[in-house]
Amino acid sequence: MDLSLRGFPLVRVFTTMQNFFQILVSGISVGMIYGVIAFGYQLTFATSKTLNFGQGEALTLGALVGLTVVNFLIGMKLGTFAAYLLALPLVFAFGLAQGSVVEWLGVRQAMKTKSEAGWIMATIALGIIFKNLAENIWGKDPLKFPSPLSENPLTIMGVNIRPMEIAIVLGALAMMLAVELFNRRSIYGKAVVATSNDRDAAGLMGINTSLVITFSYALSSLSAALAGVLVAPITLTGASMGAALGLKAFAVAIIGGLSSGMGVVVGGLILGITESLTGFYIDTGYKDVPGLILLLLVLSLKPAGLFGKAAIKKV
Amino acid sequence: MLKVQNLVAGYGKVKVLHAVSIHVPKGQLVTLIGSNGAGKTTTLRAISGMIKPESGEILLNGTNIAGMPSHEITRLGMAHSPEGRRVFPTLPVTDNLLLGAFPRLTGARPKGDVDTDLNRMFELFPRLKERKDQLAGTLSGGEQQMLAMARALMLQPEVLLLDEPSMGLAPRLVEEVFATIARLKTAKITMLLVEQFAAAALDVADFGYVLENGRLAGSGPAEKLKNDPAVRAAYLGASH
Ligand SMILES: Nc1ncnc2c1ncn2[C@@H]1O[C@H](COP(=O)(O)OP(=O)(O)OP(=O)(O)O)[C@@H](O)[C@H]1O
Ligand SMILES: [Mg+2]
Repeated sequence: MDLSLRGFPLVRVFTTMQNFFQILVSGISVGMIYGVIAFGYQLTFATSKTLNFGQGEALTLGALVGLTVVNFLIGMKLGTFAAYLLALPLVFAFGLAQGSVVEWLGVRQAMKTKSEAGWIMATIALGIIFKNLAENIWGKDPLKFPSPLSENPLTIMGVNIRPMEIAIVLGALAMMLAVELFNRRSIYGKAVVATSNDRDAAGLMGINTSLVITFSYALSSLSAALAGVLVAPITLTGASMGAALGLKAFAVAIIGGLSSGMGVVVGGLILGITESLTGFYIDTGYKDVPGLILLLLVLSLKPAGLFGKAAIKKV
Repeated sequence: MLKVQNLVAGYGKVKVLHAVSIHVPKGQLVTLIGSNGAGKTTTLRAISGMIKPESGEILLNGTNIAGMPSHEITRLGMAHSPEGRRVFPTLPVTDNLLLGAFPRLTGARPKGDVDTDLNRMFELFPRLKERKDQLAGTLSGGEQQMLAMARALMLQPEVLLLDEPSMGLAPRLVEEVFATIARLKTAKITMLLVEQFAAAALDVADFGYVLENGRLAGSGPAEKLKNDPAVRAAYLGASH
């Protein structure tokens, strides 16, 4: 490195490439979490043009249900890893059920009466109820989620990577890939795509489109619950863990586009990485700023706005 | 087979149909003619459950289907190729066709041989075969029209509703569509056809109804309607 540049701020930024890669790693794992939650927003937006604004609370509940099941299984003398694996199907089932409830109580009625604001208010309200529920069952204090994988980082070329961070990336990708395969290969998945394309025409094919919308809400909450149990072991678990994540993932969904599958991964990574870069090189206090600036930029550069045609009609 | 009695339907507070009655006997081709805005599309929509009728009966093989959601009506064997094609733009041609057979593939109707039917559609519409992996949204208007028809046929329907299958097509393709309809008729498929080309529709149909401002203004064997001076003056003059 050119020594004459010492003291120039940019040089400080890249003092060590290792530092930079270290930041990148944590940015990527957080970004993938945002991506999975945002993917959940996409799922319901595709079929119903509505979103679950309680997505963050779906994540919270998924993580807390997972925590209880994992602790119970550990109490049954199971290893942490085995307990975690066994808990996953239960967490998924819980997510599916929770999402269905949100759709029944919050969305179906509002869509019937064609109320624009109805589903927004209803899903926010349900989110608050779920959060209160979580506080009453699990308390307000953050809890420790037993890590299924070793908490000792692997050192790869001087960069420390926690095994759980790798699991997050793989888990997130597996989830999206599974949904993509389902949509492409199975007739039921095609029915979901058809409903997204043209609900009335899908009904004419004999597809129960109300059920498809319920299903997309169920799957959306499942994604959030998965994000919850993926992120819980590397952070603190508690009733308020989902709020900020849900909001940031919403920004990611807007940035990445509510309709393009890969957009949320890219958007999530952009946000996750800028956040951890800001947190490290500037100040953790400003960590949330770049994401919000990014969000504002995207919103102003896409005058059609959040639900604009450009976001919907892209093939 | 399909019997519509005193059907009243519309959109919200706007009533479009006032007591319309139509009978489509098994194996016959019945056509519904009328000027723009007469309520032809609305009639088909009410029959297939895309809109809820206000009152009246719609009997499909004796079952009253009035007010049922469209997916249940489809599962009873009614296919509807809607106005404006409504193909699924982000799905390939083949997937569009398979979705036409959705009730068969999911156990809601007898399965039969879906693959053979798929190939039959490709024989009937060779242009779809050449484009079977292409996204439906990238097809030309005429190709989309063929796809909409083929997709409806994939149900192996007991009754087929066709809403302006020739809309927006070049004259040569219009002829082709009518040739296809004639072929379906030979195959004894029960059809209710709405067409802008009233003369051509009456040529191929067994029976016809004339709709005017949401009310039936006449009906009769197609042959007879075609020679009816009033019908000729109102509907057949301009279309040829
Ligand atoms: N979605 C709708 N909302 C409100 N009114 C509608 C709607 N669709 C149709 N109409 C009205 O219902 C009446 C009948 O329309 P319909 O589409 O049934 O006519 P049509 O006979 O099919 O005409 P065309 O030959 O032009 O297709 C028209 O006055 C139309 O304006
Ligand atoms: Mg019409």
